[in-house]
Amino acid sequence: MQDFEQQLRDALARKEQPPYFEAKVLAATRRQPKPVFLRWAFATASALLIAAGIWTDHRAGIQAKEQLQLALRVTVTELGKVQRTVRASTEEE
Amino acid sequence: MPTAGAATEANVECPPNMTFAELLRANQSMVFSLAYHFLRDRGAAEEVAQDVFLRLHGKLDDLADSRHVVFWLRKVTSHRCIDYARKRGSQFTIALDDTSEPSVASQPGDPLLNRRLQQLIAALPEKPRMVVVLRYQEDLTPEEISEVLEMPVRTVKSHLHRSLAMLREKIERSMGDIR
Amino acid sequence: MIKLALITCLSLAPLGAQELKIPASLDRLAAKATEVVDVTMDANLLQLAGRFLSDKNPDDAQVKKLIEGLKGIYVRSFEFAKQGEYQDSDVEPVRAQLHTPAWSRIVGVRSQKSNENSEVYVKTGNGKIGGLAILVTEPKQLTIVSIEGSIDPDQLGQLGGHFGIPKIDTRKETGHGKDE
Repeated sequence: MQDFEQQLRDALARKEQPPYFEAKVLAATRRQPKPVFLRWAFATASALLIAAGIWTDHRAGIQAKEQLQLALRVTVTELGKVQRTVRASTEEE
Repeated sequence: MPTAGAATEANVECPPNMTFAELLRANQSMVFSLAYHFLRDRGAAEEVAQDVFLRLHGKLDDLADSRHVVFWLRKVTSHRCIDYARKRGSQFTIALDDTSEPSVASQPGDPLLNRRLQQLIAALPEKPRMVVVLRYQEDLTPEEISEVLEMPVRTVKSHLHRSLAMLREKIERSMGDIR
Repeated sequence: MIKLALITCLSLAPLGAQELKIPASLDRLAAKATEVVDVTMDANLLQLAGRFLSDKNPDDAQVKKLIEGLKGIYVRSFEFAKQGEYQDSDVEPVRAQLHTPAWSRIVGVRSQKSNENSEVYVKTGNGKIGGLAILVTEPKQLTIVSIEGSIDPDQLGQLGGHFGIPKIDTRKETGHGKDE
């Protein structure tokens, strides 16, 4: 029985793959496209991230512009008030 | 019974965190041989082996350890071979021109007996055939084979017992008592 | 008037500048105020705002030019429903900073009639204006403006009537235009 099993082991000894096999597989992995789902997921995620980034930048920019506008409005108004007070005090004199 | 499990040997060959190229180099002979002994068609074996490694390439990040890769490779190769054989169906032919194919080491034993055994193994039904290949090419225990093929250990043992009896009977009939 | 005072102080002002820090204690006035303007824009925010100002739009272009040399704009303005909601002690930390050699008061005027006190300070160095501070205290309103960086008050004045800023009318009372 043991001899027969040894015969089977001999018959089923590992075969050597073709010499080009390794290079062929490696080349194929370089050509291998990502699965469609992954490609879609990657593309969608990238697009969302870019869109979110652009939107965040845009919103922050608009807010900054509005803040600037408000700050300048107060500043100019207060300067006008100062001028008015100066003029009034000059006229009083 | 196996003297030393091929799985154990493979573990030694595959330390953790190997690159894909290293895993390919370490396991290409095992994968190709499983496919070749099962399909007995060099072109088909090459096709299946390449497909298995391409799947491994896409799956590598999910496999926690290189040592799991060996188990994964055996499992995927086995199932892929069975699927391939089923799809091929009646087109299945046994290649008889394999005597010139080199083994990893020069093939031990009687070349004529080896060839006859290979032909007989190739004629086994798909699942018993894969059980025999995993048992005698990879030296896996019935328990390990049951994990790879996802079948009960009892079924593995049953396939082994019947296949061996049938192979022994046929080889004895065609070549005389091998003992 | 402001311009004349500026020329005078530029020639006399010492070197070495100090940023005007609006004290955090002022923030508690917000709870009592009916209207609050709180703007804090550092150089980065100014730069960001500048990217959203079009060179093709004359108003935007004017503002863009104005903020080119700025490092920050900080505004705190509180409008109260009744008098006495803030004390001189609330404003004192601001005045204390402005009463240092780095800053020169170019305008300081008090209206007895409206009990309004207006002060304009500039920070100067190397013959250039490095900052502008406006402090206006009224019975029911307190405004502090601090502009860091190279600023031309004339340019500021020219903004009136543009960029959503009300035209300066020195003849009659106007609000901040916050709701304009």
